[in-house]
Amino acid sequence: MSMLELRNVSKVYGEGATEVDALSDIDLAVERGSLVAIMGPSGSGKSTLLTIAGSLELPTTGDVMINGTNVVGMSRYDKARLRRRTIGYVFQDFNLLAGLTAVENVSLPLELDGVPLKRARVQGMSALDALGLAHRAGRFPDELSGGERQRVAIARAVVGERSLLLADEPSGALDSVNGEAVMRMILAACHGGVAALVVTHDAKLASWADRVVFLRDGRAVDETLPPQPPEELLSQQATNP
Amino acid sequence: MTQFPDPIEQRPPDGGMPARRAVTRWAWRLLRREWRQQLLVLALIALAVAVTTVGVGVSANTPLSPYVGFGSAHDLATFSGNSASTTAKIASWRQRYGAVDVIDNETITVPGTVNSFDLRAQNPLGPFGGSLLLLTSGRYPAKASEVAVTEGVASDFNLKVGSSWTILGVTRRVVGTVENPKNLLDDFALVVPGQVAAPTEVVALFDAPRGTPLRTLGSNVLTPELVAQSNVLNPETISIALVTMVMLLIALVAIAGFTVIAQRRLRSIGMLGALGATDEHIKLVIRANGVFVGLVGAVLGFILGFAAWLAYRPILETSAHHVVGALELPWIVIVVAVVLAVLASSFASSRPARAMTRISAVSALSGRPAPPRQLRRSAIPGIVLVVVAFFLLGAAGASGGKGVGMGEVVLGFITLTISVVLLSPFLLTALDRLSRHASLAIRMAMRDLARYRARSGSALGAISIGVLIAMVVIIASAARFGNVLDYAGPNVSSTQLIIYTPNGPYGPRGPANDAPGGGTSKATTASMARSANSIADALGAHKIIELETTSATLQHAAPGRAYSGPLYVATPSLLRAFGIPGSAVEPTAEILSMRPGFSRITKMQIVYGNYFAAGGPSSGSWPCRAGSCLADPSVQEVSGLPSGTSAPNTVITEYALRRLGLKPITSGWLVETAKPLSAAQLTGARGAAAAAGMSIETKSSIPTSATIIDWATIVGTVLALGILAMTIGLIRSETAGDLRILTAAGASSRTRRNLTAATATALAFVGAAVGTSAAYVAMIGFSRTSALDGISSLASVPVMNLVMILVAMPLAAGIVGWLAARREPKGLSGQPLT
Repeated sequence: MSMLELRNVSKVYGEGATEVDALSDIDLAVERGSLVAIMGPSGSGKSTLLTIAGSLELPTTGDVMINGTNVVGMSRYDKARLRRRTIGYVFQDFNLLAGLTAVENVSLPLELDGVPLKRARVQGMSALDALGLAHRAGRFPDELSGGERQRVAIARAVVGERSLLLADEPSGALDSVNGEAVMRMILAACHGGVAALVVTHDAKLASWADRVVFLRDGRAVDETLPPQPPEELLSQQATNP
Repeated sequence: MTQFPDPIEQRPPDGGMPARRAVTRWAWRLLRREWRQQLLVLALIALAVAVTTVGVGVSANTPLSPYVGFGSAHDLATFSGNSASTTAKIASWRQRYGAVDVIDNETITVPGTVNSFDLRAQNPLGPFGGSLLLLTSGRYPAKASEVAVTEGVASDFNLKVGSSWTILGVTRRVVGTVENPKNLLDDFALVVPGQVAAPTEVVALFDAPRGTPLRTLGSNVLTPELVAQSNVLNPETISIALVTMVMLLIALVAIAGFTVIAQRRLRSIGMLGALGATDEHIKLVIRANGVFVGLVGAVLGFILGFAAWLAYRPILETSAHHVVGALELPWIVIVVAVVLAVLASSFASSRPARAMTRISAVSALSGRPAPPRQLRRSAIPGIVLVVVAFFLLGAAGASGGKGVGMGEVVLGFITLTISVVLLSPFLLTALDRLSRHASLAIRMAMRDLARYRARSGSALGAISIGVLIAMVVIIASAARFGNVLDYAGPNVSSTQLIIYTPNGPYGPRGPANDAPGGGTSKATTASMARSANSIADALGAHKIIELETTSATLQHAAPGRAYSGPLYVATPSLLRAFGIPGSAVEPTAEILSMRPGFSRITKMQIVYGNYFAAGGPSSGSWPCRAGSCLADPSVQEVSGLPSGTSAPNTVITEYALRRLGLKPITSGWLVETAKPLSAAQLTGARGAAAAAGMSIETKSSIPTSATIIDWATIVGTVLALGILAMTIGLIRSETAGDLRILTAAGASSRTRRNLTAATATALAFVGAAVGTSAAYVAMIGFSRTSALDGISSLASVPVMNLVMILVAMPLAAGIVGWLAARREPKGLSGQPLT
């Protein structure tokens, strides 16, 4: 069973003259432990696909199966619970909550799911530690660098038993070194059993994925495997800077 | 992926307490980080609670509390003099209820003065009266030959501790000085119980079981509950009503504030939704912020207010003439103010909280505000409530203004307030429609007001309510002070003083007044005239006018207010003193008055002689019996007469005196000085008058109608402008995106200025118009059924004040808005054109 499966998904915004087809007949499956990249020009529907996959938006037609459960028709309450327990988001601009420290940000999804404060903090610390940020746990977002913030966001996205990671341009606001580090972490999460769907413009970063899906005008126009595994790509870059 | 020890199925489905705690913690952290952005609401709440703390402390402690005589007892019985039945009654209470604290008082006049003091027999260690005594030096008397006196008595009799003092034929040694901390004006000499031979008053303090029927105790027994019943409109009640109104205004302003704060946090709230927060969690973030703002503001306000109270308390003790404890505050009112502050803030945040849950997480994450919500456009609910308020206030007016109908007044004003809030969004839509052909800036401003009327509507409501309160005061004051019958206002000016003979301003009314030798004897009057002249000389008076009165007074024989004020005689010297030549008085005029419109009052009659003695009706009999009454006297309005309510503003002519056979007697002297009289001069005059058996009247603190109306206008204008200043920035920030597009499209600073000026002017004008209209609805509703002040009382229209509120205030708002919008918004160029 795929962790995420989009079946015949279409999304239309507006009505009449202002009607726009953001997505048309998209079929996509992301297995546990796999990393799928979505690429395409601006306005191709990448972000819409991601928000529909994450139950933040409903498709106009089609089904969205997460871990075998169709989110279409779910109540807002159930979708919120699904997001708390299953889905983690990483955005380009980090979206850490100001006012909460790194560890508080990471443990927040657990607290929202009813995990008592102390246990949630332990889990949060553990997730930060796994990403090498335990020493920055007590810092507020504005005291962290861009790379550190994105690592905190990744920790928050995978903390607990979350098994679907959705990332929208996770390295968009980072330099190439930090961008690659972020992709390495996402890949590490996938090796731990997480299914990841990453939207990116960057072909180099997309090459880290198991599959790359190309979108144009809301349609999936191509689906390929990266030409080379990422490690090889990196070593090639090292020899030919 | 991190391993998790807690099975998912054991977790509460909605996140339970851990989730609520987490979002509440975040709300608190955000307030700590972004308190500056919420300074406006915080400051308003803090100020309201601080002012309430000080104001209610001062107002509740300034007059003597009606409960002071109780000491620590629940029941207080007062007997006139001591008798066997008093002793028996007290004995029976003692038997039934246990301890009874008995205080005997004998009133004694200070020789050579009109002052008096009490010879008081009281046990300082009595079970209930201990709090009514405080030893300031020496000790309490312990035996019959000892006495302790208050400072006033010590001063009157030149006593000090150790002095020997003979009073009522008994010589005692002064062993201490005492005071009644609850009433520093209470002058007494304290002796041991049983030493007051002929008490004029006996007070018994005791504790009957709660719920004992008063008829069992007797009609001379008071309980705090009984006092409270007769004291419904006390400072505490008024303060609670005021603070409720103020908090409602703050809530309306805070709605706009919290909406903007919520929108600034839109992306974070979107992220919270993406993390799996439910709608309830998202609402809780905004509402918890509201509660925290209310709590912090209220606590800060209380601290500030309490500090101000502690600083002001010593001054209050001096002016209130009783000791005021640091904690002697009406805590109930303060607690109510704090609770109302939190409720107001919480209520204000609930609307944006609900609005946030209507924004999709995707829109929130992208920072796009929700499209303006279409509020109800119908004016029907608002209009229905206006009608309901009109009739409720009518019911209150019909109650006769004797304390009944308060419920209808309160309910009427609450209904009116709600109707104003409901009508506000509709009016903004109407304004938008009206401005369709106006210039670009005005059109945009009106459209933004209508589009964002969830915010601008509450601001308009707040402005309207502020104006409504001010206008009700203005219209009511104009009507009340415009009433020529029950003439209200200051009694005399600060350069005037009236010295009264024992006849007083109204004379010893009755036939004896007009009989030969009636009133004060000629010799006594001559002696008093000499004293009055010497007082006037001491004051440096440039004018002393003899005031004469007769048994006559005026009566209004129709429903409504009765005539009030003295009716002095228009002697040639009095008219001359006010520059009114004899030729200016019509020969057949019977009454002269400076009260405008007095000559048009119908069913007036002069009643005199034995009119009242014969059991004549006090009012309503028309036409009255000849011989003791003259119906429909000839009234001439003379503007030269003075306007004070105690001054001779309405006088009876000598022609009327001759016609009715009235005999004038000397009532007093009106003294006029060139400069306002000082406190020392007044004290000297009071003492000299008392020594001559006379009394004086000086300027009271009653403000003039102009003072009240002007202050109400100023307060209403400042309140409305303040609310505008606070909300205009918030409303404009909603349309910052449009402003950026305008600037990018080449709009000059002039367009920006015009936009802000138009917004401010429109809100101020519509608020002023709605508030004024609502105030007139209230006053017409009340007056049309009022037997005291009919609808004609509203004929005195405060034109200048209306112009000030309806024209000057919106203009001022527009000018300030225009000037304030000079600078380009911060960071304008750095922001995307969304």
